[in-house]
Amino acid sequence: MIRRDMLKWGALASALAGAPAAALARAGAGLDVLLLDTRFGEGAAVDMGAARVLTFAGDVTRIWYDHLDRAWRQPGFVVGGITGADALFVLETLAQQQGRKVVARNVLAAVDGIAPVSWVIAPVHPSVLA
Amino acid sequence: MVTPSTMSAADFADGLAQMRSIVGPEWVFDQPADLNTYRDFYSVLWGEPEEKQASAAIAPASVEEVQAIVRAAGERGMPLYPISTGRNLGYGGSAPVLSGSVVLDLKRMNRVLEVNEANCSCLVEPGVSYFDMYRHLQESGSKLWLDVPDPGWGSLIGNAMDSGGGYTVSGYRGHWEAVCGVEAVMADGEVLRTGMGALPGSETWQQYRMGIGPCLDGLFRQSTLGVVTKMGFYLFPQPEAHLSASVSVYRYEDLDELIEIVNELEYGNVFNGMPGVGSPVLSQESPIAMAIVPEPEEMNRMVRETGLPAWRASFNFYGPEKVIAAQWEHVRDRFAHFEGVTYHAEEPVRFPLTPAQLEKAQKPRYGIPSLEIFTVGSQGYGKFNPSDGHIWFSAVIPRSGKGVIDANRVMRQACKERGLDVFMLAPAVTCWTRSFVLFAAVPVYKDVAKNRHLRESIKEIIKICGEHGWGEYRCPPAFMDAVMDAYSFGDHKLRRVNEQIKDALDPKGILSAGRYGVWPKHLREGRGA
Ligand SMILES: Cc1cc2nc3c(=O)[nH]c(=O)nc-3n(C[C@H](O)[C@H](O)[C@H](O)COP(=O)(O)OP(=O)(O)OC[C@H]3O[C@@H](n4cnc5c(N)ncnc54)[C@H](O)[C@@H]3O)c2cc1C
Repeated sequence: MIRRDMLKWGALASALAGAPAAALARAGAGLDVLLLDTRFGEGAAVDMGAARVLTFAGDVTRIWYDHLDRAWRQPGFVVGGITGADALFVLETLAQQQGRKVVARNVLAAVDGIAPVSWVIAPVHPSVLA
Repeated sequence: MVTPSTMSAADFADGLAQMRSIVGPEWVFDQPADLNTYRDFYSVLWGEPEEKQASAAIAPASVEEVQAIVRAAGERGMPLYPISTGRNLGYGGSAPVLSGSVVLDLKRMNRVLEVNEANCSCLVEPGVSYFDMYRHLQESGSKLWLDVPDPGWGSLIGNAMDSGGGYTVSGYRGHWEAVCGVEAVMADGEVLRTGMGALPGSETWQQYRMGIGPCLDGLFRQSTLGVVTKMGFYLFPQPEAHLSASVSVYRYEDLDELIEIVNELEYGNVFNGMPGVGSPVLSQESPIAMAIVPEPEEMNRMVRETGLPAWRASFNFYGPEKVIAAQWEHVRDRFAHFEGVTYHAEEPVRFPLTPAQLEKAQKPRYGIPSLEIFTVGSQGYGKFNPSDGHIWFSAVIPRSGKGVIDANRVMRQACKERGLDVFMLAPAVTCWTRSFVLFAAVPVYKDVAKNRHLRESIKEIIKICGEHGWGEYRCPPAFMDAVMDAYSFGDHKLRRVNEQIKDALDPKGILSAGRYGVWPKHLREGRGA
C-alpha cells in the first residue's frame, strides 16, 4: 500500500471518530462505499459526499453477499464504516481472505453494550491493489 | 517470528525461498502483519509463549503447486498445516496445532468443479465457501440445496474435514456423512483418489462412496495424513415444502419415552429434518442455555407454576406437502397418550421462498448461508457475543432421556464448581446421525490468568465426561491431546493405530502434526512441546 493512501485513510478514520452522529456528518470522501450500522442511528438522510452509503442493522450478510464479495474480487475498492464491533469483526475476517485489511479504526462510545467503531478497510495484497 | 523447532533458521529460509519459486513471492507470507491474520482469535493460549502460531503461510493455486510444496517440505522436514478457508473459530481458527508450522492456505483453489443436477452432487476445491457454492447454485438456476453450518463463511471441505454440522436433512447435515469422493496430495507428493475416483474413466465418483477394499475416506476426517484438494458431496434436491412442528409434554418423567419415540420416528424415516429436544421451563433465563435439571418434584412444581412444558421435541419435515402433512399426523398420533400433551405446527413453507420469507427465514434451516449468528450479542441472548471469542465444548452423549439429564447436570455442576460462564448449553444437538451432542459455549479471554484457569477447567471436564463415557466429537487444538487421551480403550489402541498409520504414510511427519492428538514419531514424546 502506498503511503499517500495510508495517510488519506488515516485522516478519514480520524474524521469518523467521535459520536456516531457527528461522525456520520463528516464521513464520505475517499471511500468507494460507506457502511452504516443502523443500530447506532439512521444514516440515510446524511449527505455522504462521493461515497455510496449502504445501511444494515448488525447482520452484514446481505451487504457482503450482494456488494462486498463481488467488489473485493477486483482490485481496489476502499470501504469505510461506522458499525458495531461485532459487524466489523466479521468484515475484517472476510477482508483478510481477500487481501484486504483494516487500515484505520476508532472505537466510539458504546451504545447498549455494543461499541460502534469507525473504520476503513483497504486493499493491501498486490493481487488486489488498484 | 516463531520458526519450526525442528529446522535450522537457514534451512527454513531456504525452504521458504523454494516455496516462493513454486507459488510466486506474493503468495508466501512471513511478515508479522500477515501472520497475525493466521492467529486463532479465539485461542485459549492468546498472547502466551505457548500460543500456537504459524511461522509462515503459503497459498498455492493448483494441485501441482500443492504437490511441489509437499515434496519440498518433505525434503527439509518442514511442517505444513493445510487449511481450506481457515474459519474454524471455536475449534482453532486458521492456526496450526504445532507452533511454527507453515500454514498451507488453500483459499486460492476455489473452483466449483462440477454440479451434477441429475446425480444431486458436486465436486469442489478447498477454497469454495458455502457462500460461493450457494451463489453458484443460484446463478446456475440449480434445483439443489446445500446444507450449511451456522456461519456460512467457511468451506465445504474444511468444515466436513473437521466433521462439522448443519441444520437441514438427515444424511446431509452431518457434513462428513455427505462426503462422496476425496482427492488428496499425500505426504510423498503423490495424488490419491478414494472410492470410484481410483478407477480411471469412472463416472460414479460422486455416487458410490466405497469403491473397493477398505474405505479410505475416513483417513482424512480430522486427520494428519494428506492435503485434500478435491471433495465430492451429495446435495439435497430442493423439496416442495417444509414444516416445522413441536410436541410438548409436562412432566419430568416424560423425557425418556419422548426421546424413545423421537428416535423410533427418525430411524424409521417418518421425518427427515433435524429434531430437537429442549426444556421450555428450564430455558426461561436464556433460550439457548438450559438451566440445571432439578429433582423431579421441583421441576414438576415449576411446570405447574409457570404453565410451561417440561420438555419439547421439535420436528422438521422436508418433502411434498401432502406427504409431510401425513407424517406430522403420524407423529402426533405417536405422542397422543402423554398426559396433557400439546402440539404446535408452523404454517408449511413452500419453495422457492419469496423475498419476504427469505428475509425473515432462519436461513441455515433452508441451506442458505448467513453470518447473522455474529449479531446474537445484540439480540438479548445474555452475554453471548461471538466476536469476543469462545470455545465449543461438544461431547457425544447417549441419545436417551437419562443421557440428556445426566449430561446437563454433570456439565452444569462442573462449570459452576469451576466458576465458568456458560453462554449456551444444549444437551441434545442432532446434526450427526443417531447422536446427541452436548454443546456448551464458554467464553475465552484476552487475559492470561483467566485463560489458564479456563484451560485447566476444560481439561478436568474432559476427564469427568470421559469417566461417564462421553467423548468430544471435535475440540480446539489446546485440548486435542486430552480428548484423544479419553478414548483410551485397549491401552490407547486407537491413538496407537493412528500413529502407526501416520508413520507409514507420513514418515517425516510433515503434515498437520498433532491434529487430534496424533503426533509424528519425532515429536511424539513431548507432543510437540
Ligand atoms: C458463532 C459460531 C457458530 C458456529 N456454528 C457452527 C455450526 O453450526 N456448525 C459447524 O460445523 N461449525 C460451526 N462453527 C465452527 C466453524 O466456524 C465452522 O465449522 C467453519 O466452517 C470451519 O471453518 P472452515 O470451513 O474454514 O474450515 P478450515 O478452518 O479450513 O478447516 C478446519 C480444519 O480442517 C483441516 N483442513 C481443512 N482443510 C483441509 C485440507 N484441504 N486438507 C487437509 N486438512 C484440512 C485443518 O486441520 C483445519 O484446521 C461455528 C463457529 C462460530 C464462531
